[in-house]
Parts: sequence; C-alpha cells; structure tokens
Amino acid sequence: MTTATAPVTGALTAPHRLRWLLRLHRPALYVWTAAVVVLTAALLWLGGPLTDAAVHAWRQYDVCRTGATCVYDQDAILRYKDVYQYTTWAVLALPFLVAAWAGAALTGREVESGTAHLAWTQGVSPARWLAAKLAAPAAVAAAGTAVLVALHRWAWLADHGGIDTAKSWSSFETYYANGPLPVALALAGLAAGALAGLATGRALAALAWGMSATLALWGAVHLAAPRLYPAVTRTAGLDHDGPVGSGIVLDSGIVTADGRHLPDPFCGSSAYSTCQALYERIDAVGFFSVYHPRSHYWPLQLLATAPVLAAAALLALAAFVLLRRRTQGKAATA
Amino acid sequence: MTDTALEAAGLGRRYGRRRADRWALRDCSFRLPAARVCAVVGPNGAGKSTLLALAAGLLPATEGTVTVLGATPAAARHRIGYVAQAKPLYPQLSVADTLAMGADLNPGHWDAATAARVVSDGDLDPRTRVRTLSGGQRTRVALALALGKRPELLLLDEPMADLDPLARHELMGTLMAQAARHGTTIVMSSHVVAELEGSCDHLLLLRGGRIGLAGEIDDLLAAHRRVSGPADTVLDGHQVVESRTTGRQLTALLRPAGPLPAALTGAPPTLEELVLAHLRGPQDPAASPAASQKATA
Repeated sequence: MTTATAPVTGALTAPHRLRWLLRLHRPALYVWTAAVVVLTAALLWLGGPLTDAAVHAWRQYDVCRTGATCVYDQDAILRYKDVYQYTTWAVLALPFLVAAWAGAALTGREVESGTAHLAWTQGVSPARWLAAKLAAPAAVAAAGTAVLVALHRWAWLADHGGIDTAKSWSSFETYYANGPLPVALALAGLAAGALAGLATGRALAALAWGMSATLALWGAVHLAAPRLYPAVTRTAGLDHDGPVGSGIVLDSGIVTADGRHLPDPFCGSSAYSTCQALYERIDAVGFFSVYHPRSHYWPLQLLATAPVLAAAALLALAAFVLLRRRTQGKAATA
Repeated sequence: MTDTALEAAGLGRRYGRRRADRWALRDCSFRLPAARVCAVVGPNGAGKSTLLALAAGLLPATEGTVTVLGATPAAARHRIGYVAQAKPLYPQLSVADTLAMGADLNPGHWDAATAARVVSDGDLDPRTRVRTLSGGQRTRVALALALGKRPELLLLDEPMADLDPLARHELMGTLMAQAARHGTTIVMSSHVVAELEGSCDHLLLLRGGRIGLAGEIDDLLAAHRRVSGPADTVLDGHQVVESRTTGRQLTALLRPAGPLPAALTGAPPTLEELVLAHLRGPQDPAASPAASQKATA
C-alpha cells in the first residue's frame, strides 16, 4: 500500500528535488556561473595588473609635473578607469539579473505554461516545490554576489591611494559595489521575482515586476539609510572655497548670522571681493555641511542591507501564503 | 483502503470574488466507488476541468468538500495521478529527463518500469526533446508521468482531445490495462461521448456547473427507455428527459416510473443517446443526481 510512503521527510527528498531543480534550470546556472567567473577574472585583472600599471603611470605623471620630460602611460590610466566602471556596474546589475530570472523562468513561466500544476501533482507539495525553488537559487545567488562584492572591494583598495582619479568611497556606484547591499538585493530580487511570477502567472510581466521591485527597494534604502543614521554637521569660515567635509553630503550651504541655513550660491571664498559683497548682503557668517564621513560607511551599509534582507524575507513569506491560498484556500492559511 | 475513490459534498467553486455569476461548479454531490472507470461528460464550460482540478488539489473549493481516497486532496497528493488538458511538460527536457523528474519528485513510490513501458509502447525515443513531440506523443509522456506514480486514482482532463483515432485507441488500451492490472480508479473528462462507450462503467454528467446525471452506466441505461409511439400518448408520471413530436409520431427518452403505456415501443438507449438527451433536455431539478446517485451509491 503506497500510504506507507506518505510521511516522506524533507531531508530524504531534498537531494532528489535539488537534482530535478538543477536539471530544469541548468542553462541559467551555466549563465550565472559564466557571469561570476568572467567578472571574477575581470576584477582580479583590475586589482592586479591594471592597478599596478595605472599607479606606475601616475608616478610618471607626477614626475611630469615637476620635470622637463613628459612621458607617461595614459592608456594604462584610461584602461583602469574603463574596466573599473564596467566591472562596478556589472556587479550592481547582478541583483536585477537574479530578479528577472526569478520572475520569468523560476515561477512565471511555470505558472504560465501549466508546468507548475504538473509539479504540484507529483509527490511534492506546492510549498516544498516553492521552498526548493527559493532556497537553492538563493544560496547560489548570494554566494556569487558575495564573492564579487568582496573582490570588487579588494580591487578598489588595491591602488593604496596611488591613482589620483580613483573613485572615492562615497561615489554612488563604488559605495554600493563595495558593500553587502548587492547580496541582499539579489536575495530580495529572487523573492520579488518568484512572488511576481506566482501572482501574475505571466513570465514577461513577472520579469518586469521583479526588476521594478528590486529597483524600488534599492531606491528606498538609498534615500532612507543616510537619513536614519545621525550625520555630522561641520561649519567653516567664509574664507574657505565652500562647505567643508567630504563624504555623503545630505545638505550644505551658507549659515547666516541669525543661524538660518541658505543654499550655497557657489560663489567661492570671501577673499574674492564680489563674493565678499554677496556674503555681506545675505548676512552670511560661514559655510555648513551635513554629511556622513567615511567612518559612517559600515553603519550606513548595514542600515541599508538589513531592511532589504527583511523585505526579502517578507516577499518570500508572501509567496508562500499566496501559493497556499491558490491551492488550498483561505481556511488553510489561518 | 477505502472503497470510495472520490466523493463530493456540496462542492462549489467560484472564480473571482465579487460577481456571484461566475460559479464554475455548484452544489456538486456524488460518490464514486473505487476501481471504476468514470466518464465525466458535459459541454465545454460545464465545470469538468474545475472538478478535476479540485480533486487534484490544485484549486481550493469555494464551498463544500471533496474527499479523495478518504483524505483531503492535499493529503492524498502522492496517491493521485493528474493529467491536465494542455498536457503541460517542460519543453526543454528530453523524454528520459521528464521521467527522471517524475522519479525525483515521487521518491519512494515511482514505478520506472511502468513509465518506461508506456513511453516505449508509443515508439518514442527517450532522447527526444519534449518540444518536438506530436500531440499524441505528448499525451503519452504525460500519461507515463502520471502512471509512473502508481496512482490509486487517475484524473485525466480531456486525455484524448486532439489525438487521431489510432492514438486514442492505443492510449485507451494502455489505460484500461492499467485499470485492470492495478485496480486503479480512472476519472476522465471528455466532450466526445463515443470515445468513452465500452471503456467506462460510471458516468458523471455535468451541465452548467451542476451534476445532471450520476451513476453506474449499466444502471442508468437500464433505468431509461428510448420510446416511440403515437403523438397523443400521455407520458404523465414518468420522468421525461427529452421528447420530440414529428407529425403524428412521438419519440422520447424517459425514466419510467412504472409500466409504460402499451402504445409505446421502446428499448434501453445507448450511452450516447442518454447523454445527449440529458444535455439537450430541460435542466430539471428532479432529474438531478440527488435521487439517482443515492440509488447507485
């Protein structure tokens, strides 16, 4: 009697489900592996030979400034900049790749073509089906993204200040590609795509929804995180060229005698008489800047990453609840 | 082992939330004993697919319950085989990979030999990609996947649609052999009655989301008469399913409640005549299953 096999444990069947999942999504795994390998190679190249050559070229250039001869390897500097830009944006694009795939191929196409019903009428419950579909890709996506983010950080640090035009820690793409946020975004994209696929039942719509949700999450934490952590306010005299303090600047401008903050007229130092006149007219006494210095990097990164991870968990939960309602009704979800 | 394969009590399913007129299935109550081959017939949109999806645990019931092999559809999942109307399969997999998937997703109760035999009976190369298969070959692979589970109950939604007569004959042979060998209960929907005659022993007729007729086919045929006689014959007291008067001649299909008027000559109808008469005739609450299905249960 086959009822004897009813209480099959998850542990016993997990390898089977994994093998089936692997077979089904083998092309996607190949593409992901290729992307990670290529980017790894590019980042190693960037952090090794390209950085060395660019640092060397900058040393030559510095000699140029003082000496008479002027020969420096400009190509090396430009090559470093190009490869840095491409690899940085590629790392940042990974979560969107995961979200698009999760929406289109992982669940959307299965519901659209009816193969989800095929899977659910095998011996595996829809919840187990979804659990396998989320867990295995989550591990693969998180591992790949984490490796690349770490490598990016290593490559960015490799010049030890030897490249004058290297991106600062606070420039948008460098700031995110160096931190843990892309890993969290990849997980959130996976969950968002999977949920969208189940909700819409259409691969193309789910692809768009998954990517949009990932972008929206990123935008939300980009705006919110710097405002959730106490920023540093610095003032400086009008004899400076402008507001002082570099990093992630939230607000900057002019302080007046009565303490009001006005926008920076971008005139410059009060050493110039025109600026001096301007500052006197608006009753300015100094520059101010509200910003996050480099020491705030990790708190800010964690403030952005934690909500995205929480969103990923909520999206995954929503996918399970939706699936349960679809197949077993509301009574079963209570 | 329970002796009831499928039982519905006040089963209903509505699509959408607000509009009350979108009931695909309503007030559906019947009992199908185990080891039967049951035909679910009815016109398109009668609720056949909805009923099968409810039984397969793919849809929740809006009201009422459906019990499969004595359990909820979700609890009986591993004991049910289901083939959807569109025969969904992963197009990128080969036939062999598809069967391997069946083995992986049905650990502990997968019959690889049966699945392989169903495929090889159709002269299918296991290395063929599913996307290149013809309609009949697809159906065969989908059926192999369902039979490989060694199901106690097999739910087939329009299994023979878009198949040529030869393929129909072959697949029906495969199914009947399975039913005979393992005592599998088979429930198959169809809107072509002719293909079910001779293979099925139980009938479930759906019409507009409700059950029009249910029972053992032999009992149903024996309980009905196709009669003809003079146009002025009084049929009062008998349950007339359908009647037609052509000139001075009356023909009717009815369920006699007692001895028929002597002026009538008649014989038991064929299954097709019975089904068509019920589908064409007025939707009569008295002809609805409550009475007939209790008698055969």
